Amino acid sequence: MATRPTPFPSSFLTRKKILSRFTFFKQFSILLNDKKCSRFRCQIKSFENQPPNWNVEFLPGTQPIHLIQNSPSSSISMASDSALKTVKNVCLFYCAETKALAERIAAESDAIELRAINWRTFEDGFPNLFIPNAHGIRGKNVAFLASFSSPGLIFEQLSIIYALPKLFVSSFTLVLPFFPTGTSERMEDEGDVATAFTLARILSNIPTSRGGPTSLVTFDIHALQERFYFGDNILPCFESGIPLLKSRLQQLPDSDNISIAFPDDGAWKRFHKQLQHFPTIVCNKVRIGDQRIVRIKEGEAAGRHVVIVDDLVQSGGTLIECQRVLAANGAAKISAYVTHGIFPNRSWQRFEHDNGGHPETGLTYFWITDSCPQTVKEVMGKPPFEILSLAGSIAAALQI
Amino acid sequence: MENNNMGELKCRNRKQVHLFYCMECEELARKVATHSEFITLQSINWRNFDDGFPNLYINNAHDIRGQHVAFLASFSSPAVIFEQLSVIYNLPRLFVASFTLVLPFFPTGSFERMEEEGDVATAFTMARILSNIPISRGGPTSLVIYDIHALQERFYFGDHVLPLFETGIPLLKQRLHQLPDANKIVVAFPDDGAWKRFHKLLDNFPTVICTKAREGDKRRVQLKEGNPADCHVVIVDDLVQSGGTLIECQKVLVANGAAKVSAYVTHGVFPKRSWERFTQKNEGSEKGFAFFWITDSCPHTVKAIGNTAPFEVLSLAGSIADSLQI
Repeated sequence: MATRPTPFPSSFLTRKKILSRFTFFKQFSILLNDKKCSRFRCQIKSFENQPPNWNVEFLPGTQPIHLIQNSPSSSISMASDSALKTVKNVCLFYCAETKALAERIAAESDAIELRAINWRTFEDGFPNLFIPNAHGIRGKNVAFLASFSSPGLIFEQLSIIYALPKLFVSSFTLVLPFFPTGTSERMEDEGDVATAFTLARILSNIPTSRGGPTSLVTFDIHALQERFYFGDNILPCFESGIPLLKSRLQQLPDSDNISIAFPDDGAWKRFHKQLQHFPTIVCNKVRIGDQRIVRIKEGEAAGRHVVIVDDLVQSGGTLIECQRVLAANGAAKISAYVTHGIFPNRSWQRFEHDNGGHPETGLTYFWITDSCPQTVKEVMGKPPFEILSLAGSIAAALQI
Repeated sequence: MENNNMGELKCRNRKQVHLFYCMECEELARKVATHSEFITLQSINWRNFDDGFPNLYINNAHDIRGQHVAFLASFSSPAVIFEQLSVIYNLPRLFVASFTLVLPFFPTGSFERMEEEGDVATAFTMARILSNIPISRGGPTSLVIYDIHALQERFYFGDHVLPLFETGIPLLKQRLHQLPDANKIVVAFPDDGAWKRFHKLLDNFPTVICTKAREGDKRRVQLKEGNPADCHVVIVDDLVQSGGTLIECQKVLVANGAAKVSAYVTHGVFPKRSWERFTQKNEGSEKGFAFFWITDSCPHTVKAIGNTAPFEVLSLAGSIADSLQI
């Protein structure tokens, strides 16, 4: 691994001497911007004895609080193993929305290199795309970081997704952190159009490359049955953001007083196995006359720091109702976690900070991942929101 | 369709067809339905969730079981593709007897080759998406397209669709026969591509072929063959975007003695209202176009232009109604 010849603060030099004993030492760049702040990040890929995988990020004081967590996802069990396995070099392409996340992913690993695409449009609105240095990706492992935040963006990204596997690459992975339409996945009535099926079909039709079927990495897909919507020419890899939440919870001062609340049975089915060692509360909606009211079905909220967990949030109505019920039942603090903060029409504005202890009016924390880049831009630095980055998890998934 | 084909069709059994349509195509769909008592209009609820993704419902889904079904689509911009695609992928699976997709204008058609490795031919993406339509009980989906840009594009489609390549030229020929100076008409092609596409359909007219030749840094339109002097010249092409090529052709034809110049394109794409260049009279000696014929394949243009001179809209409705009987 190359060490970069840039000047370091003296405390870092000492650390460098210690660390240079180890087999792999990767040091990322030190950025000195004109505000005289410094930022660096280290990742130790292996130690002689122990396999921790830690990641430190110092941020300049002028930047908003942006917590980036890196913890190994369930799919890479031991960092020491990964030092012995061959590391795959990956060329990572991305779309305009996902540029920031792509940069974070590339920062996680020397083996991941960012590549650009020329995204232009013809006068008629249809895309005019060009992949520079297409010859340079022959024989390489290639990935594309997509984001379908609205239907209008699908066609241009799809054109790239359908074109890349045919450029003699050795393998192709599509990373789509948030799979939209996921909630429209069943036909209750003949006449319903399950758009999740349309999207799965479109993705199942990605051409195979020399590496075989495309791998599709997605996080916390809405319905567990959706894994069966995909055809045989694609290998879906279903990841979760919950490990990021667990790491974050362990850092809290009241980490021994946490209970997990699920807003409905669907959320419980999706997540309870990953959160088994926390006490749980399950809510549900009960019909009373014309209305549907959220109630606690099982579990105790009194005196606890309750974290509501779900895969996504849209208008936020369900979460707010859960919050009220939990507060009414004596919760000391209430936080929320969703993997995908969709928040159409800026609905995140409904969520206020509790300012140290008013659980009925506000949340202590609202964690979301960076799967929905538009939201991340809007809520970054605004309490109670905190962003947990999928970058580490994605970087690891690219090694599969 | 020629007259003898029409007679044949009348003798064969007519299919009862249920025609769904996208929002942009409502007017064209109504015209198609009025052309034939065998075509019934059906409706879809087009709504959106808050996140922008479609919330769709196909009305009377049970009633179309065992029936021939068609969908009239229009992909005027990338944003409207996904919602229509969801309906297109769904209809064949509702136990229909057959499914036909009518897509009068196939967009991206002009971006269909890779000159350099790295070019992304979006026409290939589009063809791939359409080739993936599920088959119905009636077998592969029939796909009706008018005047596709490149003849090679027919081979971009996979085996699960049956492309049916139609043309708007018969509508033009019919219109030309109605003109008072029908015997002085000369057809002009703006380039060799247009000639390859259309000359066989128009071989009863004298022709003029133009070409773009490089002069220093620029490319100028020049006359390659034919004589437009004293004639009513009709420039024919499959589509128009900014209109630059047509305007240059017109200037060259007038310079070579053409008495009147008109134009026909099947698809009036006209992004960013570029049709306005044709409705305003140019300064000086420019006479402008006598007629500018387009079909109703691009509904947004038709709505904007209507029949503002020199534009005249020739409707594909009759042709589409006939193609649904195939």
